[in-house]
Amino acid sequence: MSHEIQRVRNIGISAHIDSGKTTLTERILFYAQKIHAIHDVKGKDGVGATMDHMELERERGITITSASTYLEWKDYHLNVIDTPGHVDFTIEVERALRVLDGAILVLCAVAGVQSQSITVDRQMRRYNVPRIAFINKCDRTGANPQRVARALRDKLNHNAVLMQLPIGLEVDHEGVVDLVEMKAIYFRGDNGETIEEGPIPADLQVEAEAARATLIDAASMFSDDLLEAALEETVTPELIREAVRNGVLSLEMTPVFVGSAYKNKGVQPLLDAVNAYLPSPLDPPIEALDLENDNAAVSLESDPSKQTVVYAFKLEDGRYGQLTFVRVYQGTLAKGDTVYRASTGKKIKIGRLVRIHADDMEDIPRAEAGDIVGLFGIDCHSGETFFGDGPRLAMTSMHVPAAVISLSVTPVDSKAQNNMSKALQRFTKEDPTFRVRLDPESGETIVSGMGELHLEIYVERMKREYKAEVETGAPQVAYREAISQRGEFNYVHKKQTGGSGQYAKVVGYLEPIDEAEYEFIDKIKGGNIPTEYIPACDKGFQAAMEKGRMIGFPVVGIRAVLLDGNSHAVDSSDMAFMVAARSAFRQAFTKARPRILEPVMKVEVEGPGEFQGAIYRTLMQRRGNVLGSTEDGGFARVEAEVPLAEMFGYSTDLRSETQGKAEFTMEFAKYAPAPSEVTKELREKYSGQVAEEDEK
Amino acid sequence: MSEVMINLRRSPRKLLERDGHPGPGPGQLALILARAGVGKTAFLVDVGLDALLSGQKVLHVSLDSTVERVRTWYDDILMEMLRSEKKLEHASALELEIEKRRHIHTYVGHSFSTERLRDAIALLRDVMHFEPAVILLDDVNADTLTAEKIESVKAVVEEFGAELWMACQTFREGPQAEAGHLPPPADQFEDQVDLAFQLISQDRKVRLHVLKDGSEMLDEDLHILLDPKTQLVTVGYST
Ligand SMILES: Nc1nc2c(ncn2[C@@H]2O[C@H](COP(=O)(O)OP(=O)(O)O)[C@@H](O)[C@H]2O)c(=O)[nH]1
Repeated sequence: MSHEIQRVRNIGISAHIDSGKTTLTERILFYAQKIHAIHDVKGKDGVGATMDHMELERERGITITSASTYLEWKDYHLNVIDTPGHVDFTIEVERALRVLDGAILVLCAVAGVQSQSITVDRQMRRYNVPRIAFINKCDRTGANPQRVARALRDKLNHNAVLMQLPIGLEVDHEGVVDLVEMKAIYFRGDNGETIEEGPIPADLQVEAEAARATLIDAASMFSDDLLEAALEETVTPELIREAVRNGVLSLEMTPVFVGSAYKNKGVQPLLDAVNAYLPSPLDPPIEALDLENDNAAVSLESDPSKQTVVYAFKLEDGRYGQLTFVRVYQGTLAKGDTVYRASTGKKIKIGRLVRIHADDMEDIPRAEAGDIVGLFGIDCHSGETFFGDGPRLAMTSMHVPAAVISLSVTPVDSKAQNNMSKALQRFTKEDPTFRVRLDPESGETIVSGMGELHLEIYVERMKREYKAEVETGAPQVAYREAISQRGEFNYVHKKQTGGSGQYAKVVGYLEPIDEAEYEFIDKIKGGNIPTEYIPACDKGFQAAMEKGRMIGFPVVGIRAVLLDGNSHAVDSSDMAFMVAARSAFRQAFTKARPRILEPVMKVEVEGPGEFQGAIYRTLMQRRGNVLGSTEDGGFARVEAEVPLAEMFGYSTDLRSETQGKAEFTMEFAKYAPAPSEVTKELREKYSGQVAEEDEK
Repeated sequence: MSEVMINLRRSPRKLLERDGHPGPGPGQLALILARAGVGKTAFLVDVGLDALLSGQKVLHVSLDSTVERVRTWYDDILMEMLRSEKKLEHASALELEIEKRRHIHTYVGHSFSTERLRDAIALLRDVMHFEPAVILLDDVNADTLTAEKIESVKAVVEEFGAELWMACQTFREGPQAEAGHLPPPADQFEDQVDLAFQLISQDRKVRLHVLKDGSEMLDEDLHILLDPKTQLVTVGYST
């Protein structure tokens, strides 16, 4: 299927839980005739919404996949990408946001701007995703879209401008007034599929004119033509639309639409707005990194004739094996093509290409720049870039943030054992921030990730999707060890009593670095250590870093510099130098004022103003460093940085301190040195453990 | 206190002190006057950083910004300072120190009132044992200020023993300063101002003038040029 790229829209729908994202998506698919009946979310008929295909998600009410669905609306081609709404899923959110060109921000007309909207909105801003807003649930008691639009302005700093007025609210909600065309729109028929247009109701005429004037005022900032037309009173709908589009694309304006997904009001005009105002793949500038040229930025163009660059943003297990969702950023991808993996340079051949509809899929021969499609028969990790002949381009740097939390998972029987390894293999492929290792001492399988919920979700998925019954240990904070000054080493490893001996001497120092986890510098002059043994020294240092001397956690931020050494013609070996380097590391580490680093989370708590003191207290009790506070009408918002180790059980605590009226979000902020009392405590605990193990 | 103390040679506050115009003192008000876009916020942040780095606690209040944005101001200007003092290696340690002594409090959607400010400061003191020596009040809409309002804000800071620095935008067009008075709209409440400075933009640099000190009205060029972006002193020269 060939189509003009100007008419492609890759969009996401983001919302706070329960604002109606799933319901809205369902209606969108229905009106685009992708599904044939409306099932209500968590409905009585037992059939869930089509997009929300994971049982677990439905139960939790959160969406953790980024599957993409294709649909057509009035000659436009839309890919609706499911955007995860929870902050714990940093990598998932990032990937979904990366492939979006625009988004619909769904807000509840009663609840307004809630904590998750704030987080997701901030992430969208970070990725420069233009947004339009949909104020949903206008049929609910207490609906007040005007107040929500104001909150968009005040809380999220959006230049929010109403494009419509609701006709009636609460039970009387019947339709919308279109302020661009100045007409009323009603939604008739069993499912609101019949659109009826009419004159603006008399009692809304004055309000509509005022709102339109406000709209034109705001939009004329983005178009001189409109500004001029406004002065000469020759404004046309086209001029307004063009100006609003400019405003949206520059991320300086957020047009606001209203309606009720559940009552089938306002969905079709929202789709019209997606076509009219959100970007096509041609609009935003796209950059890739040239991996062979120091990650230099390279501009890409949504041009089917240029070098192919494709980004894999999501893997899914399907009936026909692994389905890889990709976005083509540049060039063309066709069946039978050969492309290369950016991470390894390895060749792969493209087998089946499919377009994913809500309820089936369709084989297609090729996909062009701007498209989002699925691939079968490709073995890769999520986040991988494929490139065609030419420079080695990647859409993202290969940097993955360090995991901050871990727990042990133990299968209950051998069947579970089997299923668990299948599940873990899959998850680590999907999500590089989810890691698995075997603890050599306890023999336990340890999984680690970006937060408690992050791990919980995977444990649940193991149980449900893979039938792997596992028991989990208590979550452990992933500490790090680091040094704070230079420390010298001068170490001889010697075992020369009878038989073949061992001899190696290394001299040099360790020093702290910020920019990398580890760096090795060889400054040996004159071959005091023969070059063949240098890699063994490097390995020895790295081996020592796996387990620090403070509390047995990995050491980071080390530059190891080798200055001098000595070898023996017979007794030196790789082994001897590795052992020497490892011991030398320990020697220097102790001298370099080692310290423990702990993960610190950025925590935002919001609640009614009268609980501000209580919120402060809950954070102070957890070694929180309160950064600031905001008063917003009757609400208070507090921002703080709190060590992850102190955040266990916070939601319970916060609930009881604020009568359940405050909520919070958190995301990883940084690693910071642990204070001395904490260090002391951790060290005591660690030496206790070591002693215990020695006894065994 | 921090092991790394930075002597801010480029802080405008230090130069003011040198020239015999130290801070306003507890319960008193220092006012920064400037036209839109000349860098009032950066100047207040300089004052805040200077106080923080000399060990004082600072409450930064904004009526039109977010905590995140104010933090970014501090981070950026601190980086700039450290770069010019060639002390970038202290950045993370200093940031930590600063964050412990600084609280940012912002208002959105016309939530500000003197009464609320008082409650907010009291809460910080009672719950967090945070007692600022310096309070900075930014993004105040000066057109709506009256002598009474200023008087009531001063009463609040006096109650808590802090000094107050506030920024006020002057008009680009319309009424200009009359001799012996502060430029409008600050002339409306000039009796309440204990110390007044004006930032004047000229040839891509900003000059600093003292307009009032105690009860004395002046117009004294301090011969200090500030960087228009950071308001850090680029040269302090004497005539
Ligand atoms: N009254 C009303 N309820 C709605 C509307 N949209 C969704 N809901 C209900 O709100 C609940 C949450 O909706 P859902 O679509 O699952 O929200 P999500 O968590 O954002 O995906 C469900 O019970 C929906 O039936 C609406 O426009 N009006």
